[in-house]
Amino acid sequence: MFPLALTNGLVIGIIYALAALGVSLVVGIMNVVNFAHGELYILAGYFSYLFADTLGMHYLAAMLAAVGLVFLLGMVIEVLLIRKTYGNDLYSLILTFILSIVLQNAYLLIFGPYPNKPPNWLKGATNVFGLFYYGNQRLAACGAGLVVIAIVYLMLKKTWFGRMLRATSQDREVAELNGVNTTALNMLSFGFGCALAAAAGVILSPIFPVTPTGGVAVALTAFVVVVLGGMGSFWGCVVGGLVIGLVENFGAAYISSGYRHVFGFIILIVVLLVRPAGLFGNREL
Amino acid sequence: MKKRLASMIFVMLLIFLGSFGLAAAETVKIGVVGPRTGTAAATGKSFTEGIKLATDYVNAHGGVLGKQLEVVFEDTAGSPDKAASGFERLVTRDNVVVVLGESHSSAALAEIEVANRLKVPFIVAEAWADPITAKNYKYVFRAGPSNSGVVNETIAQWVVHEGFKKAYIVAENTDWGLGIGKLCEAALNAAGVANQTVVTERKGQDHYTELAKIKAFNPDVILAFVYGTGLHYFVAQAGEMQLSPHAIILDGAGPPSLWPDFWNNVGDYGNLECLVSSMHKDVELTQLATLFRQNYEKEFGTAPTDYKSRSIFDAVLIAADAINRAGTTNADALVDALEKTSLTVTRGQVSFGTTKGGPEYHQWMPPMLVIQWQDKNQVVLYPLAGATGSLKRK
Repeated sequence: MFPLALTNGLVIGIIYALAALGVSLVVGIMNVVNFAHGELYILAGYFSYLFADTLGMHYLAAMLAAVGLVFLLGMVIEVLLIRKTYGNDLYSLILTFILSIVLQNAYLLIFGPYPNKPPNWLKGATNVFGLFYYGNQRLAACGAGLVVIAIVYLMLKKTWFGRMLRATSQDREVAELNGVNTTALNMLSFGFGCALAAAAGVILSPIFPVTPTGGVAVALTAFVVVVLGGMGSFWGCVVGGLVIGLVENFGAAYISSGYRHVFGFIILIVVLLVRPAGLFGNREL
Repeated sequence: MKKRLASMIFVMLLIFLGSFGLAAAETVKIGVVGPRTGTAAATGKSFTEGIKLATDYVNAHGGVLGKQLEVVFEDTAGSPDKAASGFERLVTRDNVVVVLGESHSSAALAEIEVANRLKVPFIVAEAWADPITAKNYKYVFRAGPSNSGVVNETIAQWVVHEGFKKAYIVAENTDWGLGIGKLCEAALNAAGVANQTVVTERKGQDHYTELAKIKAFNPDVILAFVYGTGLHYFVAQAGEMQLSPHAIILDGAGPPSLWPDFWNNVGDYGNLECLVSSMHKDVELTQLATLFRQNYEKEFGTAPTDYKSRSIFDAVLIAADAINRAGTTNADALVDALEKTSLTVTRGQVSFGTTKGGPEYHQWMPPMLVIQWQDKNQVVLYPLAGATGSLKRK
């Protein structure tokens, strides 16, 4: 049981981290909590299902197209909706909450109540050191998640765009004085955050088929990870995701699987009691 | 001139309101509660299909009390608070005379309290938890499976018949899941079948750790009381972990294994999975079942899959029959009429139990089938009288 719980905890943790990264980025740079994050994750799953299953595109092309479309949609959402709410965090919260409800109902209307799943990239399972069988698709998802996380890290640390993002997250006014166009940067950041939700969606939807209301649980887990790790912290997201993944799996394995998600909340409460800003709170992006 | 115009508008308004009142009086309204959103939104779709066929059928056969039957639907989303308020809206806003439906036991348990308080007859179609009828409420009836009925009359008998020696029960943490899990444990213990239980989350997606526990027990059969998409995850992941088909999985609810996306979601791992159902085209108990299937195919261009469309169809017919026999929409008269029901529907002859003290009170249990997917064909395994084939293990 221990090796499986450890492996699955790490794999699921990486995926949690990926899902949370977009939330963290948008919070860190724009101070906006995107309640529709889960629904954009679901949208990417639907897109990749449509492109791969209905249009017959190669799964990789379908995934990239889905992420690209959600990135564009994210920018449109920022321009048309989020931009009007700057200066009042509560408005953006309410607006994205309403957006999530609208999207859920739109999915129900368009895609129906049944779950949809794009084709697996890798079928079958691997025998791990003779201890247990593990789904190949999960291993591939973990690998893809690590690649995306590494790309985000390198982008933040090594590129001009990343430096602008970090500068803006540290001090918006100073960044503006140094020539950063924060209006355009907000649009790109929100689109980028949505694209990260989409990346998690296309990677995970072959394992966990998407449903109209499936984004709620995704967003909830992402928020738990972000708060646990510390709002707006890159490493907070990664470590937070791994902690939640491991706690849930060991809790389910050794205590009760009927309360898998409760263990994550308990850890969150404990950490917040000790460190109110989260594990990596107050650290820069 | 102005005065004349005002009087004309007043008279026209009266005529308009009068005609509206007449039109409203020409229908008898009944309510349906069920999930149209949430994790079991597919049930709402099945309910809508069944309601359409049932109202067409009833209205084509003279309607109700000489009037047309009208159905008002309230979405409960599987949530007890929405269920209770939706039920209350149907009664107080829409003036329905009887309420039918529901698919989630936790929602139905909230609704029966409202039915009892408002004194409105409620016919539960597809919520299985025993306490729904075991509370012995005067206004609550169930024309559908109960947990104890499904376990004792079908699942436990099938497990013994197939000669399974070790069973694993997977129960989602809902009123339905926990209730049927406990009843299964008791029935299997009584039958001498070794068993263990694991409780899983209703909205759980990842079942790997549970499956590892199950694999360590090495069961012959897994009785999975997991509803909705969760069942698809469970079947696919059990296949990945090489647990099934060595251990045969029984979907203890049925519909998720019949949903159109089942094969897309579970792939080849769905082969040899078993399910509990009250519908199979080769085992139609009444002529009305055949008529239902024909009408369904004519209306929707495909064969019915989720049997809940048939459950609600039957419930509408039962309600219409009771209203016609009562000759009134008075609630107490309807309860009397329902208690004297003797009606043939798609799933057999309906009559409600009237002995208080257990879940059999106001309960009619339709016969259930155990079906196995064999190369994407449904083969009836149990009861033996209706069997169209035998269990395949590998």
